[in-house]
Amino acid sequence: MEVDEALGSLVAESGDRLLRVAYQLTHERAAAQDLVQEAILRVYGSIRRRHRSPDDLYAYLRRAVLNEFLRTRRLRSSTELVTDSMPDAAVVASDDAVLDRAVLWDRLAELSERQRAVLVLRHYEQLTDPEIAEVLGCRQSTVRSLAMRGIAALRSAAVLEEDRE
Amino acid sequence: MIEDDIAAAMVEHEQEAPTADDLLTGLRAQRHRHGWWYAAAAALLVIGVLSGAWAVTTDKPAAAPLSCPTKYAGKAPWVPTAPKGIPGNSRLVPNEMPRTAVVCSYDGMNSGKSPSHWGLAAKRRITENLGGLVDELAWQPRVVPGQQFSCLAVLGRQTNYLVGLTYSHGRTIWVSTTAGVSRCVTGTNGRFDTPPDSAVGDVSKALKSGRWPEPAPVGCDARWGRLGQDKTMVPAGSISLTICGTRAYPIKADYRELTTELNTLDTQAWLGVCAKHEPGTNYRLVFSYAVGPPAVVNLSSACQPPVYNGGTESDNSGNVIPIIRHLLGRH
Repeated sequence: MEVDEALGSLVAESGDRLLRVAYQLTHERAAAQDLVQEAILRVYGSIRRRHRSPDDLYAYLRRAVLNEFLRTRRLRSSTELVTDSMPDAAVVASDDAVLDRAVLWDRLAELSERQRAVLVLRHYEQLTDPEIAEVLGCRQSTVRSLAMRGIAALRSAAVLEEDRE
Repeated sequence: MIEDDIAAAMVEHEQEAPTADDLLTGLRAQRHRHGWWYAAAAALLVIGVLSGAWAVTTDKPAAAPLSCPTKYAGKAPWVPTAPKGIPGNSRLVPNEMPRTAVVCSYDGMNSGKSPSHWGLAAKRRITENLGGLVDELAWQPRVVPGQQFSCLAVLGRQTNYLVGLTYSHGRTIWVSTTAGVSRCVTGTNGRFDTPPDSAVGDVSKALKSGRWPEPAPVGCDARWGRLGQDKTMVPAGSISLTICGTRAYPIKADYRELTTELNTLDTQAWLGVCAKHEPGTNYRLVFSYAVGPPAVVNLSSACQPPVYNGGTESDNSGNVIPIIRHLLGRH
């Protein structure tokens, strides 16, 4: 029963936190809830088969949420607008560009799933780049590149928004 | 910096996320969807979420609270250690339930000779309403660099409080807040500073009772402000508005036009200075939220700047006053 106790305790303690992370990724309540549910149920099955729980169960579950997010988004990728590349226009916003927070939140939802995942782990969960690399199963240079491209896309969106006003 | 704005935008929207109660409802629905072990897992998790105190009912040893330092070993504000395992630079305490909480108090005089190394006067473990502690402390506003406060140059007694919190995986954070006649000492966790008097009344009550007090009703005397007001006049997510003038006017009509107008004013950091003092029209707008302190915006034709919220200010009130009058006319 040790595994069951650990998982039940974690859900009681950290369920809200996992749901908030999932919401930062999806920007949709129902999708966030689905992500966490599926992640919890997958993790439960996995650790029951192994008859032991990992040392850091919260980090293990968070990784499961991220994996589920990236997996389901890849299945939908044919219909999504992927902004993994720099915009065609040579738009470079300065560091002083004023970013309306509401616009910023909307634009975060339009980044590619991996860019969004990196920014959420960096700025919401406040993980370091090595920790993010471990969660996503990639190199630290990839984390830095995804973050740089995501932030550049957000800055460009801010400038385009100003141009439209 | 854009990174600060990204973090702030994420924090502003986190209250929109579903909760563990929503998770519970979904898990119940899942029980019939998959095979027997899914049903078992979902049933287990329903029980776990419902119980809430699962950890208490098992043989797992209870988490130990932080120990109060025997002396407040610095000039206030001071904390024994920086946040551990918690970056601590985006809010005063994490927006999650701590495992343990302890309050420590240290008494002394705020005059020169011995501003530090006051001995421990009292301590108490807080065991009830930790959710209320999080709701209040996690949403305390940030001090703006260069900000001035209306301090009283008065010598007198002062009590420095330390609130020590522990979380899962060995994470810890200390918060310092101070009560005293001068009302000049900011609060801090070592990386995030908050204005004087932040939550100090509730810390004092918690020390006496072991329970974090329930929030006071939000009224026209609400102390400002709220996390996010150093960047935005009215942070997202408000659930009600009271316009305070000669009396309090709770507004039932849709006030989104007002928040939109306030949030599109050109603003800069508020440094706490009112550059002119003349008679004029004053309004105090009190926006309340589901959790945490209210956001308060002052409009005063007798002050320059005429619009300020304790974190940001604007030299121009735009269309705000006509909108307020329209809302009051419909009251």
